[in-house]
Formats: sequence, structure tokens, C-alpha cells
Amino acid sequence: MVNTYYPTSYEEALELLNTHKPTIIAGGTDLMVRKRAWSDLPTGFDQDVLFVGQLEELNYIDRQGTNIHIGAGVTLEDIMDHFHTPTLLSDAIKIMASPAIRHRATLAGNVVNASPAGDTLPVLYVLDSVVVLESLDGIRHVPIDSFIKGPGKTIINHNEMIKEIILSGHKFNHSVYRKVGGRKADAISKLSVCMIMDIKKGIIQNFRAAFGAVGPTVVRDLAIESKLIGKSLAWLDENVEEIGKYYESIIKPIDDQRSSATYRKACTINLLTDFIKHIKHHA
Amino acid sequence: MVLDISKSINKVDNFEKITGTAKYIDDIKPEGCLYARTLRATIPCGRIVSRHYPDMPEGYAIVDHQDITGQNFVKIIFEDMPVFVEETVNYYGEPILLVVGEDKATIVSLMNQISIQYETYEPVYDYVDSKIHKSYIKGQGEAVFDKAYKVIEHTYETGYQEHVYIEPQGVIALYEPDKVSLLGSIQCPYYVKNALMNVLGCNEEEVRVEQATTGGAFGGKEEFPSLIACQAVVASKKMKRPIKLIYGREEDMAYTTKRHPAKIKIEAAISKDHEIIGLRTHVGLDGGAYIGLSGVVLLRAMIAATGAYTINHLHITGDVYITNTVPTGAFRGFGAPQMIFAVEMMMHHIAKELNEDPSTLRMKYLAKTGDVTSTSGHFIEPIIMEKMIQRAMEISDFEHKIKKHKHERINKDSHKGVYKGIGMSWFLHGCGFTGSGEQVHIKAVVRLKKDELNRVHILVAATDMGQGVKTTFRKLIAHKLNIPIEQVIFENPDTDKVPDSGPTVASRTMMIVGGLLAKAADQLKHQWNDQKEVMVEERYKQPEHIKWDDETLQGDAYPAYSWGINIVEVEVDPVTFEVTLQGVWSVYDVGKAIDEQVILGQADGGLLQGISYGMLEVMENKDGRVQQKTVTDYIIPTAKDTVFMETELMDNPYALGPYGAKGAGELTLIGGAPAVALAIENAIGKHVTRIPVVPEYIMELMKNG
Repeated sequence: MVNTYYPTSYEEALELLNTHKPTIIAGGTDLMVRKRAWSDLPTGFDQDVLFVGQLEELNYIDRQGTNIHIGAGVTLEDIMDHFHTPTLLSDAIKIMASPAIRHRATLAGNVVNASPAGDTLPVLYVLDSVVVLESLDGIRHVPIDSFIKGPGKTIINHNEMIKEIILSGHKFNHSVYRKVGGRKADAISKLSVCMIMDIKKGIIQNFRAAFGAVGPTVVRDLAIESKLIGKSLAWLDENVEEIGKYYESIIKPIDDQRSSATYRKACTINLLTDFIKHIKHHA
Repeated sequence: MVLDISKSINKVDNFEKITGTAKYIDDIKPEGCLYARTLRATIPCGRIVSRHYPDMPEGYAIVDHQDITGQNFVKIIFEDMPVFVEETVNYYGEPILLVVGEDKATIVSLMNQISIQYETYEPVYDYVDSKIHKSYIKGQGEAVFDKAYKVIEHTYETGYQEHVYIEPQGVIALYEPDKVSLLGSIQCPYYVKNALMNVLGCNEEEVRVEQATTGGAFGGKEEFPSLIACQAVVASKKMKRPIKLIYGREEDMAYTTKRHPAKIKIEAAISKDHEIIGLRTHVGLDGGAYIGLSGVVLLRAMIAATGAYTINHLHITGDVYITNTVPTGAFRGFGAPQMIFAVEMMMHHIAKELNEDPSTLRMKYLAKTGDVTSTSGHFIEPIIMEKMIQRAMEISDFEHKIKKHKHERINKDSHKGVYKGIGMSWFLHGCGFTGSGEQVHIKAVVRLKKDELNRVHILVAATDMGQGVKTTFRKLIAHKLNIPIEQVIFENPDTDKVPDSGPTVASRTMMIVGGLLAKAADQLKHQWNDQKEVMVEERYKQPEHIKWDDETLQGDAYPAYSWGINIVEVEVDPVTFEVTLQGVWSVYDVGKAIDEQVILGQADGGLLQGISYGMLEVMENKDGRVQQKTVTDYIIPTAKDTVFMETELMDNPYALGPYGAKGAGELTLIGGAPAVALAIENAIGKHVTRIPVVPEYIMELMKNG
């Protein structure tokens, strides 16, 4: 028998969390599917459940300096349309799931679900996002790539919950988000990519690339990125294939019921080189 | 006042469907009802060595093969598929027993306490164990290959397709001391009734079958429901209580019938002056663990071996292979979609290899009125395909687009832009049962009853499963008798009230059953008496000019054919190989639409189902287990995946159909896969030989093809 808790304040939620170590539900769009049961039977939760989606204290989007703070309770639909939301994140949400799901699901939920195919994750990696965790013991700021450890695995403690996600509000010269799914809506990614590049006077100032569904976690490699920084467009022009090769060694997708490893890998590299070629074209 | 019957009216069930008041099978909750859940085999092939059942609490029971009072097989055609496994297991998930009781949580916990020990055998997944072999020839058969200047050969492969009807399979068995009633989400009440009499070993008065409002079937509720209906009534007899057996979506996708995967090898004998002088074709169907309807599916596929064309010499063979996988079965099109895909691709591949324009080559062989069919019957009814093709090409701007896309491919580095392509399929569909099915096996009977209030009751076993027959039959009778449609009554069929007018399959409902109803209406008109109840009856009689030989497969396989053209335009992303539909155009000859909107509904739905069969819907077996068994992993199109579909209907009334109507339901699916596959082939310039043409396959073609 599991108990369900429906706190009316964030403070109360943190206390309940500390006492009962429950499963946290905001929108429930992943959990309700995962815990599905034979019709008419209660869902298959094996721990107490704490509802947090109703907490107004978590329903905010703020800009502080160049950073955007998105509260854990904001639905994807609200994030998508908000004027503070970076374009890349809006782009990812627009083609995510279906309107019904977007009206329930939260960004924090997508993060803590830690699926390698999580649609917003490549964007959050590229935007150097920080996950803000809170418990009665205090607040921790954890970069997204340290927060997610593997499929469904995070470093969150039993008495902690996500308070907000902080992401960079910086605007880039060139950016792209692409998701490849089995169909044009309501699909789990076969692969997804998010890439940005800043160019000033023909020199690369900034380059970041994150790839979803091609490994146990989103793949982003700072060492490879740094190889491009400071290089000229002419260099970029000559090294498109080479850059593809840098990534080939770290992109290790699997075969599953949704796609093949071969396709995922080739398509990811194609999207990367296409992005770079596109920049040459428009720079 | 005589209105054109095609002019649309509101579907009679719009209100209850839109407001959600329609009662589907799971909405029905009889008093004292027990739930049932299926325990399934966890090996693909082998035998049960021992079973350990827990002690059952009061009111709970295990129902297995020992509870069957009649025969332990599902009566369809062959006596091969058991209702419950006795010993031999032939596929992963085969039903062994039901656990029944009042509380679902208790049922689940009891199921966890059951243990079954198996001895496993080596499973078969390849096309090696043929259980049905058929063949026929036309003209000189394969002898013409001796005269061939060259032979072009291709093998085409098609995959599973899952129905994904609105509500999963479900039945409720109701118990009375001397009668069992079965409510179900079903297409064919009398198929179910016959199966129930067989499993209970009882006579026909002891069984009643009634259709519950059915939200979709696509063939999936043709033969499969007989299995769970048998299980539910056996349980109901044992418990003397109503039993509800409803599948969850995942259970439904993993363990119910699907479209047969096929391998079709076509060889074309080509003369020195580039004439196609003959075809030698072999169709292999994966029947899964039991034959079921596979032989009949095979026959329809084989008869469609020349598609919409006339080829003079044929040698056509086919096999149903049994494998240790979930049984395959009826699905809208019934073997034709596989074959029409293969034929349409083959005609293009022949043209390409002979360096000829595909449209010109195809036009040369297009079937014409009076031509000899593949099975040496005749196309007796007028064929208006030339007119239809012309119209389809006009509305889609086909020729201009072919030229434009070709020009763009030649003059641009296509890696920078998208690949654009357009494809066109031509096809036909034989209406009604294949061969002598209507005359020998079905023998349809229909009745009309006029009551004292001058209401006319339609008494047929035809089921509305979304295709609109509740509307079109009532409209048909109202028109015939010139009475308001409100005066015509058509309830969900109940075998205690309606005669056996045959199953609701094979695009036969309007043409055959509707045809009989129209004749019955004429009779009723003559006998009409305002004061009295009048009952009239009509029985199916094969038209005299239709001859068919079941042994040699020679003659008129169908009394009439519906025809269609589909044109699909696509863009293929050169980076990800994703395919996006740009335009879809169709022209159909269904004789005469009894309701235009109903046919347009069939056209949009059927074609989208056909297109997605050709480009989206992947279902695979691994170690005998279906890998894509949720709506998350089995991809059917959403509204975002489709485009506006332009459809035109051309009247070509069939003398023996009501107001000239022929079959329509299946026709609209058949051309979708070849049209989209040809569009993709046109865009990427490679030979497509299998469906679905998913991005993974396109990438493979771009690399190696």
C-alpha cells in the first residue's frame, strides 16, 4: 500500500520528501506510463508518491543576468511560449511528444527521467545547464552532465528534489536542434543533436555539440569542441570530414526496436557535418 | 423526388461517437461479472512438461483445456489452432489458461503463483515449412521463358502490419442456464457463433452472439475474436457467471494476428522487341504458428499477380510457411497489398532495365474491358482506368513534376537540397469473396422486416466498425422504399435476430449484402401492407456468367473489380533520409458511392494506412517475439505526418451492385505502399525492393544500392 501526498507549499513538500522518501510526480507523463497496470487497478507505484506539479512556488521562469531560471513545475507548453526561453529549447519542445503531454510534462521531469533519448537534454547540455537540487539539508548546484549518470540514473538523493534548472541565455550566431524520430510528432528520438557556433571576423569563438540517443547519456565532448575554437572558417572548410571523425570514436549507439546503431551513428555525423557546411555557406 | 444517392448525409452514429456515449465492449459491465486474464507460454517452441497451479480461493478458478466440453480448436478452416495449449507450444505467448475471478489484483497475484515447466525445441523462423502450396497457369505458363530474349528477376519483401484498431480485442460471455451469449468487438458474428458451438459441443440454440459497438477492426476482428470468445464461454460455463476478457494494448499488439510478411519473387520473360511475354511469380507468406485464413490470403495475393495489367502467359505459385511466431491473419486488402506492391515495383524495374519510360510501358499492358484475367476469366465489366489515370495525372500535375524533379536532380548538387520524387500506383481489387466463396461457403441470407408501425428493420449480420454501414444500409433502404431514413432500423447484429448474411470482410458488405438488401427492398415494395408485419428474404445466387474452378484456380475469381490510382509526392532529407509527404492524389472507381463522405473517409484512412505500411510501420520478430508492441514503438502516422489528400470518385455503376456500388473498403489501402515506395525510388534514384521504406533502409540504398 502506498500513500500519496499533495502538499500545498514547497516547504511542506521538502518536509514530506525528507520524511517519506517518496517518488516525486510533477506531470507524470513518464511515470504514469512506466507504472501502468491492468485497467481498473491502481498504478504500480511501489513507493509513496509526492505530487509537486501544483506548487505555485515552482512555477516561474526568470532571467537573472544572462541566465534563465526555469522552475521545476513549469510545463513544457508554458516554457515553449515564454519570451525568456532560448530558441533552441523552444525548438526542441515544439516537436516533442504531443500537445496533451506538453501541457503536463515538465523540463525537470525530462531531466530527472535521464533517458538517453530525452528530447530537451542535448539543448540543456549545450546551454551549460545547471540543475538546482534542494532538500532540508540545503541547496546544491549540479551541472547537467554531472547530474545524469546513465539511463535513468542521476545523483539525486532520496530527500532531494529539483527546484529549478538554470541555463545560459546567450544568443549564438549559428545554432541548430534536430530530432530524428519515427514520425513527425509523438515519437521517441532515434537520435537528436544540438549544436551552436559563434564566429567573429572569420574566427570560431565558440562551438558546442551535444548528441542524444547515441550513448547511455547525452554525448558532449569539451576536448573536441576546444579543437575548433580559434580556428578560421577556411580551416573549418578543409576539416569538415576530420571533425566528423573526431566524433565517430565517441558516438556509440545501439540497435533497438526504434532504429539501428549504423543509422544512428551515420545520421548523427551527417547532421554535424551538414551544420558545419551550412555555416560556411552562410558565414 | 429522386436524389443522387451519393449525396452525403450525416453518419447516423456521429452523435454517440463524438459525445463519447457509444458503449464499447469495455464500457459494458454486467452484474456479477468476473474478469479473466490469460497466462501465456514463455517459449516459442516446445512442450509443457508440468504445471503447478496454486490453491484457488473461493470464487477464483483456472480455466484450461480440461474445461473444454467440445473440441479444443478454434473453428475457422483447419483444425490446427487450440483454444488452450494442451501440451505443444507453437509460439511465444500462446494462451495456456485463464485465471478468472472478481478482483483483478487477486487474479494478478494468483497468476504469479502458477508455474509451467517446458521442454524446448528448436524454433523455425525461416520460410521452410510449407503447409499450403498452390499454383496456376495462364496461357503457356512458364514455357514462354524458353522463348525469352532476356529474363528480369526481382524479389520483393514486405513486413508485418498491425491493425491498431481503436479498442483492443475484447469479449464478454454472459451466462444463462441453457444458453451462452457472447458480446464482442467483432466483425463476423456467425464466425464466432460457429466457433463457440464447436468448443462447447452444443447446438445452435444454445449460443447467441451479439456485436458490441466496434471502433475499428481492419480485418483484425475477423477471425481472431473467435479464439478469445471460445475461452470466455468455456470460463463462463465453468463459473456460471459472466466473464469479461479484454486485452490491454500491449497484449493485443504482441499476441494477436497481423498482416502476413511476404517474400515475392517475380521473373519476367522479355522478348527481343522488349515485350513482357510472361511472368513466373512465387509468393511466400509467413503464416505464423497456425494456418488460420492464410490459404485464402495466399490465393488473393496470387490472383493479384498481374495487378492492373494483362500479361498473357503466367506461372504463379505460392506457399504459406508455418513459423514459430504469432499467427498472421486477415488485414484490409488480404494479400493484395503485398502483391500489388511487388507488381508495381516490378513494372517500374522492368521499364528502367529496358530503358523505357515507365508510364508508356505500363500503359501498354493496362487491363482493358474484355481482357483475360490472370486466372483466365474475363474483365466483363467496363474498365475506365485510362480516364482515371488521365484525371489523376491532371490533378497532381504528374508529368510536369516528373520532368521538374529530374531536371533538378541533373542540374543541382542534390546533397545541398532535398531529394524530390513522385510515384503513381495503379491497382484493382476483386470485390467479395475469392472464387466460389460466396456461393459455396457463405451462402448469404438477408431479411427485411416491416413492422406494424411501418418501420423497416434491416436483418443482416453485417457489422459497423467505423466504415459506416449503419448509415449506408439505412440510406440504401430509405432510398429504395422512398421512406425517411428514421423509419429504417439497423441494430448491432445479434445472431438470434438476424440471418447469416456472411462476415463483414472482403469489401463485400455493400456490393453483396447491400445488393441482396436492395432486391429484398424491391420485394417488400410489392408486398407492402400498411397494417401488417411483412418479412422478406433474399439469398445469394452466383451470377450465371461467373464460373470458377477451385481445383485449377481457373475462371472468374471475382464477380467485379474496383479500381484505383494513387499518386504520392515526397521529399527525402539528404542528411537524415527522413521522408516527408508533399502531396497525395487519388482517383477511384467503386462503381457508385452510396455515400460520398463515407467513401472519402475510407479513402483518406485507407490510403494513409497504405502509405504508412509503405514507409513507417516497422514490426519485427526477434527470437519469436514481437519487438514493437506498444504504440510508442510501433509507428503509425499522426496528423503531422500527413497532408491534404485530394480524392476523386468516378462513377462506373456495376449492374448487380445496389445503385451500381462495388467494393471500396480495401481498395483504398492497396495502392498506398507502392505509390510512396515509387515516389521515394524516384527521389533517390535507387531500386526499392522492400517496405517499409524507412530512413534506415534509404541510407543503406544510398550507400550500396
